[in-house]
Amino acid sequence: MAEAELPHGITVRAGLGAQLSQALDAIEKALAAGLPVAIACERSLEGVLSAVGLGYLAHAPEGRVRLCPIDQCQPRLTEALVQMPDALQDDSTALAQRVYRGFRRKLAQGCGRSVNGDCRRCCPGHCMRKVVLACANDDPQMPEALHRYLRLGFSVGHDIESMHQDPRVAQVEQLERYVSNECEHTRQFVRFSHYADGSYGAVFRPQANTLPLCASYFSRRMGTERFYLADPVHGVSVLHEPGRGHVVMRLDPTLMAQLQQRELAADEHLMRTMWKRFYDGLELQGRGRLQRGYDLRTSWMPQRFWVGLTELDPRNDVQ
Amino acid sequence: MDTLTKLGILAEAARFDAACTSSGVQRSAVPGMLGIASRGGICHSFTADGRCVTLLKVLMSNACSYDCAYCVNRRSASCPRATFTPRELAELTVDFYKRNYIEGLFLSSGVLGTPDNTTEHMIECLRILRQELRFNGYVHAKVIPQTSPELVDQLGRLADRLSVNLELPSARSLQLLCPDKDAKGITHPMAQIARTRSQEERLLKEARGKCRKRSALSASSDAPLAGQAQFASVADGPSHDVPTVGAAQIAAASIGAGTRGLSRRFAPAGQSTQLIIGATPEDDNHILKLSKSLYRTYGMKRVFFSAYVPMMDDQRLPSSATPVPLRREHRLYQADWLMRFYSFDADELVSPEAPWLDLELDPKMAWALSHLDQFPVEIMDAPRKTLLRVPGIGPAGARKIISARKTGMLTMEDLARMRIVVSRARYFITCNGQRDPGAPLDYELIRGRMVADAQSTAYNRRQNANSSQLSLF
Repeated sequence: MAEAELPHGITVRAGLGAQLSQALDAIEKALAAGLPVAIACERSLEGVLSAVGLGYLAHAPEGRVRLCPIDQCQPRLTEALVQMPDALQDDSTALAQRVYRGFRRKLAQGCGRSVNGDCRRCCPGHCMRKVVLACANDDPQMPEALHRYLRLGFSVGHDIESMHQDPRVAQVEQLERYVSNECEHTRQFVRFSHYADGSYGAVFRPQANTLPLCASYFSRRMGTERFYLADPVHGVSVLHEPGRGHVVMRLDPTLMAQLQQRELAADEHLMRTMWKRFYDGLELQGRGRLQRGYDLRTSWMPQRFWVGLTELDPRNDVQ
Repeated sequence: MDTLTKLGILAEAARFDAACTSSGVQRSAVPGMLGIASRGGICHSFTADGRCVTLLKVLMSNACSYDCAYCVNRRSASCPRATFTPRELAELTVDFYKRNYIEGLFLSSGVLGTPDNTTEHMIECLRILRQELRFNGYVHAKVIPQTSPELVDQLGRLADRLSVNLELPSARSLQLLCPDKDAKGITHPMAQIARTRSQEERLLKEARGKCRKRSALSASSDAPLAGQAQFASVADGPSHDVPTVGAAQIAAASIGAGTRGLSRRFAPAGQSTQLIIGATPEDDNHILKLSKSLYRTYGMKRVFFSAYVPMMDDQRLPSSATPVPLRREHRLYQADWLMRFYSFDADELVSPEAPWLDLELDPKMAWALSHLDQFPVEIMDAPRKTLLRVPGIGPAGARKIISARKTGMLTMEDLARMRIVVSRARYFITCNGQRDPGAPLDYELIRGRMVADAQSTAYNRRQNANSSQLSLF
């Protein structure tokens, strides 16, 4: 790897910025000293993939490096802790993309659907989708689970898609399934409000970072409308303009306050009341949880979402 | 009467209709139009009794000229009546859709004078929704029995799914409880829908074949417009170069232009129907055979079963104290699922000798227990069809097993990791010739354990505890 010496003493590696180079140096030094390394990375696709990439660049054996979330990292005894820089910096993103493309090509080898050793553009398989979804999981085990999974994939190639019985694969599939369900909950239970300026907006608090994954769905669904979606838990927002598409942005408290301070449209309260009236009217006596033996509504619609649902808010009852 | 009051009356009037899905059609966004349709449908809420709310399911009107004994909206019932104007309902649909409350509209109605008059109102509502309000979301429309074929055709070109309710499982019961309806008035529109869809499918196949040939020819002569681009040109508008397949039937570049530009225009999500269960004496054998026949004859996408909710005192109906047959409805849906996705035949699940589904066991477990000679199944070499017969293994599980066994020997622990329901499957399988020693293939033992498991769920335990505490007082 080509290297350049900067005046302030940091060795910048080719393709990496100063902070990534520093992190790489730290990993290499710890490994040379015989220490295991914990890499603290962001809980995001870019964060995890760039950390995996850095481990490979440091030639770290799988057993001597582990990934942990930056906000919940507890180094073990004798373990050297290396913190990854902001995953949205250009060099981190580039490294993450390199790992992503490399993994995709590795999985495409031996895949009957591949074209010229790479995935087709519209492949019905979901090899990479699995990685993308799993990375949106809030589970503190997620970075390390993905790390093991990616290492396994780089080692066995397309066979990983058949290894459902392998604990590393099973763990990632579980993470993926959870996020996939949470994306479905996002599509189901987001409730937009109509504002006086004609736009729509909603605040949603999922237990995974689903808004970036669902943004294009809402953009297609609400193509003719200007809207925002905000997730204060993960600090993410989606803004959409008709004809211009959508952008996914980081959500800071100022933006959140600005979005929520706007005046509701004149018809908004009536619409909420009508929706609740409609919902209340649908219930059938004799089919409830007591007669059924179990609470079907709660199993389909977890109670953590109820607080944001227009139809379950008593303020929307007919006065 | 304001819209809020009408909505209250007409939502309550429509709540007995079990069918509420928005599935069966995938439609992309169209510039300038609001909405899309997702193949799997999306449930936006769930009622207190656990039913999915995906569409604005209301009646256009509950002022009905018919007098069906089981219906709360029947002519002789004393209840408040309301009727939406077509525009009122169309605008309400769009307002709810933009707030992500619904996927679209489920439009049904009481019979406003005549079936044709009612359907004309429904068509006007859908016309406003589709053409004036540019709504590209999902629409399910009920066909009123005895509606003229021309109006059924118009309705089918505005809606994604059509349904004609069979209501009761036999012509005799229909005659008894619905004196204004007759079986032919129901089956004729069903046949018309099936026929029109089948004709359209044939035309589409021909058109796609011609497009493919043209595409190949264009590619061989280095024409600049080939393959996908040519299909895209079909989507942009009819062209003299492209075979137009009955212009009225396939209007290119309108609602629902699929990836190839050629897609169904008439009821693209197919048709469904609904049967009321428990209001009349027909057994499960009769109902499942009827259901099978409906799938085959009319290409139904779904047959819905609605457990009869006693609301009225009528000597032709079960007493109003009769409990709603929820468990039976559930078992019928499970049997229906087995027929649609597990290659089971109705004859395997019920017979004239055993005409009722087992209420204590699900139909798949009941079938397995009555065919113990076909088990155990070896996980490492059983074909998909055989794996699907094992309780605890579904289509996704079977797919995973077939894929995973290529890379190594599977054990019970592996199956559990792959989310196979081992607690049910273990009696019926071997892994590399090994059986689970704690799970012998014994009818009485398995049945006893399965029934006990169902009764010992956390919820049932809590219920039992509550009832025993109450009994102290």
